[in-house]
Amino acid sequence: MKTGFMQSIRALIALKPRQKLTVQYLLSLLIAVLLAFLVGAGIMLLCGYDPIACYAAMFKGALGKPRAFGNTLAKTVTLCLTGLAMSLAAKAGIFNVGGEGQLYLGGLAAAVVGARLNGSPVWIVTAGALLAAIAAGGAYAWLPGVLKVKLKVNEVVTTILLNSAAIYFCSFMANGPLKTAERGIASGTDAITQTAWFTPLIRLSNLTTGVFYAAAITLLVWYVMTRSTVGFEMKMTGTNERFARYGGIRADRLALWGMVFSGAICGVVGFLEVFGLHHRFLTTISSEFYFDGMLVAMIMRYQPFGVILMSFFFAILNIGGSAMELSAGISSEVMLIVQSVIIFFMAAEGGISDIVRRNAAARRVRRNARRAQKEARV
Amino acid sequence: MSEKKPTIVRFSHVSMQFPGVLANDDVSLEVQKGEVFALVGENGAGKSTLMNLLYGLQKPTLGDIYIKEKKTAARHDPLRAMALGVGMVHQHFKLVPSFTVAQNIALGMEPKRRGVWYDQRRVRGEVLALSERFGLPVNPDDPVGELSVGLQQRVEILKALHRGADVLILDEPTAVLTPQETEELFDVLRTIVRDQGMTVILITHKLGEVMALSDRVGVMRRGKLLGIVQTADTSERELAAMMVGRDVIFDELRQGEPGTTEVLAVRGLCALDDRGLPAVRGVDITLHAGEIVGVCGVEGNGQTELTECIMGMRPQTGGSVTLNGKDVTNLTPGDIRAMGVSWIPDDRLRTGLSAKATVTENLLVGRQREPAFSALGIHYRKGNARRYGERLAEAFDIRSGGLEVPAGSLSGGNMQKAILAREFSFDSPVLVISQPTRGVDIGAIEFIHEKILEKRNAGCAILLVSADLDELFRLSDRLVTLYEGRITGRFPTDDITRQEIGYYMTGGRQKGADEA
Repeated sequence: MKTGFMQSIRALIALKPRQKLTVQYLLSLLIAVLLAFLVGAGIMLLCGYDPIACYAAMFKGALGKPRAFGNTLAKTVTLCLTGLAMSLAAKAGIFNVGGEGQLYLGGLAAAVVGARLNGSPVWIVTAGALLAAIAAGGAYAWLPGVLKVKLKVNEVVTTILLNSAAIYFCSFMANGPLKTAERGIASGTDAITQTAWFTPLIRLSNLTTGVFYAAAITLLVWYVMTRSTVGFEMKMTGTNERFARYGGIRADRLALWGMVFSGAICGVVGFLEVFGLHHRFLTTISSEFYFDGMLVAMIMRYQPFGVILMSFFFAILNIGGSAMELSAGISSEVMLIVQSVIIFFMAAEGGISDIVRRNAAARRVRRNARRAQKEARV
Repeated sequence: MSEKKPTIVRFSHVSMQFPGVLANDDVSLEVQKGEVFALVGENGAGKSTLMNLLYGLQKPTLGDIYIKEKKTAARHDPLRAMALGVGMVHQHFKLVPSFTVAQNIALGMEPKRRGVWYDQRRVRGEVLALSERFGLPVNPDDPVGELSVGLQQRVEILKALHRGADVLILDEPTAVLTPQETEELFDVLRTIVRDQGMTVILITHKLGEVMALSDRVGVMRRGKLLGIVQTADTSERELAAMMVGRDVIFDELRQGEPGTTEVLAVRGLCALDDRGLPAVRGVDITLHAGEIVGVCGVEGNGQTELTECIMGMRPQTGGSVTLNGKDVTNLTPGDIRAMGVSWIPDDRLRTGLSAKATVTENLLVGRQREPAFSALGIHYRKGNARRYGERLAEAFDIRSGGLEVPAGSLSGGNMQKAILAREFSFDSPVLVISQPTRGVDIGAIEFIHEKILEKRNAGCAILLVSADLDELFRLSDRLVTLYEGRITGRFPTDDITRQEIGYYMTGGRQKGADEA
């Protein structure tokens, strides 16, 4: 799903991060989803497609076969990790829009170090590549973090700019100094040894043992954000930086660490792509994965649990969308329009929940007034 | 005064529900043409909400509002309220500082020459005519940013009048004024009501002002309108009791002589404001154990910057701060807190609280790393935090829709109590307190004053910054006046009157005031 860079930036500006993930919120989200599918159906009808068949194809394509389900889960993992990376930084009050670049660098570092260590025991290859990815992603996030904390340079601007620098740097390396001698590889580095590849968990699908790394990271991030003392301090910093400083919290340090960890997670995503899927660094390693993850994070208001759920939903849209194109014969343009509409409704949920809340409040007041009247009569 | 005048504003069974709070509960009220109607009540009683509804800033959940018997609620829009003749002067002025008086008054409805050009001459003429007619002298060409607060308020009033308002809502108009400016404002209001038949609705919790100015008073408590009384038939004491629901007594509570041990010494402190201009220019203050030193001054004369410097929130450009003989100049807020200084900042929502975090979390900040709330320094012990929050909330009578609601949903008074609860819980020997009762209701003021004096009597050294002279005179052992970042006078509280203080607050200078 090409949600696209500019769209994500616009969404960043338009969406106000809110704090609570309540039942009421999930309810209004459900309403938003239903509305979204209805409008999507309308568009399909206008374009001359049968919406029921298309949606059926989409869900079947995403969940119908073990292989499809595996691919959907693999996509969920990517979205979830990038989404959590965004959430972690945002929670500490700093916006990491540079995850894409950190992902590329992490992938490149993992591939290069992994390939260099070919011949060593598998665990050394894996551990070396993982550490390299973490270091590359983290260091590349540290730079805008320090600029923000020390010099008040807007991190949104710097991270966006650093994205291009990283992506083109990786592209240059993969096409030049680090280009593999292997034939048939357009722009990629040397492959890592086959014994170090992650094993697929479902045959022929993209779901590999890499999912355990993802699960561990997800658990860790969830814990830090919602259950730890640092998470508490991050929340204070993220909701009111001045207040946090006043309360004796080193807000600048927290923001910097939030940024570095966010970058490290993005680096790990690159590592997982390399070891699970491509087995080397390719310049096509990510198609704006991070911006999709960002969108997920913002729609779910940076709530870790919500990000996990929404990632799954996005993965269905994504994997099912391609399937819809193939089996229901819907043109890819219409499919993309429908996807965008659905995401748009998710983002517009805030308005819906306001209406829900206001109506509920008015009903409560009216009920109380009636009760008071009745009591007065008695 | 009691003869029946025509009704100009009517509320009919108005209720307003905010998340978790019923801000107005079935309020019915009529305001008559040509009267000064005062609306009093504790903070969070729903006065401001009611007026925001009248002005069209929000739409009532239930009920209707009529201005001159025309319904407003159908279109909740300030333009509609303005068109019907309602003008509002907000507590925080809505003026463009770099524009002139005339430009500010015309803003939003500029007269056009040939439909395109801004007609400056016509605006000047209109402003001068208006200012003469209502007896509100201003110079239309002065940039608003250079005017005193009192004059800025006058511009706000003229702006409302220029839009044809004949009902004027004033929200806490005297909160930012000196005693002299307050007198002037009241004279003006009396004149426009008497001579021009204007109607004034005054939101306040200063009961002295109610008695001095209003014809009738409406008392609100917890969203309900308890009743309307003729001002002539009531007393300050009776009103206070109505507002709070019990008798309120302000006693002389200072007990015992202040101590003589020097605790905090500020020497030659200098600092810049947010725009990079000098705001504090060499202030010396010494604080002893068991005394309250009150800092008087019109707002914006360096009070905020002074306290921020002491607390390490703002870099000092000169001078030093010494705490118990140790130099603490330019340490971090965390370090200074750890050395036993607590701070109640003047801006609750910007500095004192995180509006989006829960009440519990707000109460806990500063203690989150204590073992009771952090297992091994890693795990946040939520249950302990909740119990701790409950205990503090009970001790300080913080009323909220549960402790897990965002702190921003509390009323001003309860927010202030939450900050007080947190800061007082550290048992710090030094307290820096800024505007402890701004926008806080009478019941809570009494409570907060008691708590502050308890601290003083227990031997704390307290620096009290306030814009409320009554408060400073009631609590302080000594007073200093601050004008343009310098200390212009130092007095034992009992040796000076309010009128005299006003002189030093506006630039008068006592001999030798610059030295500690």
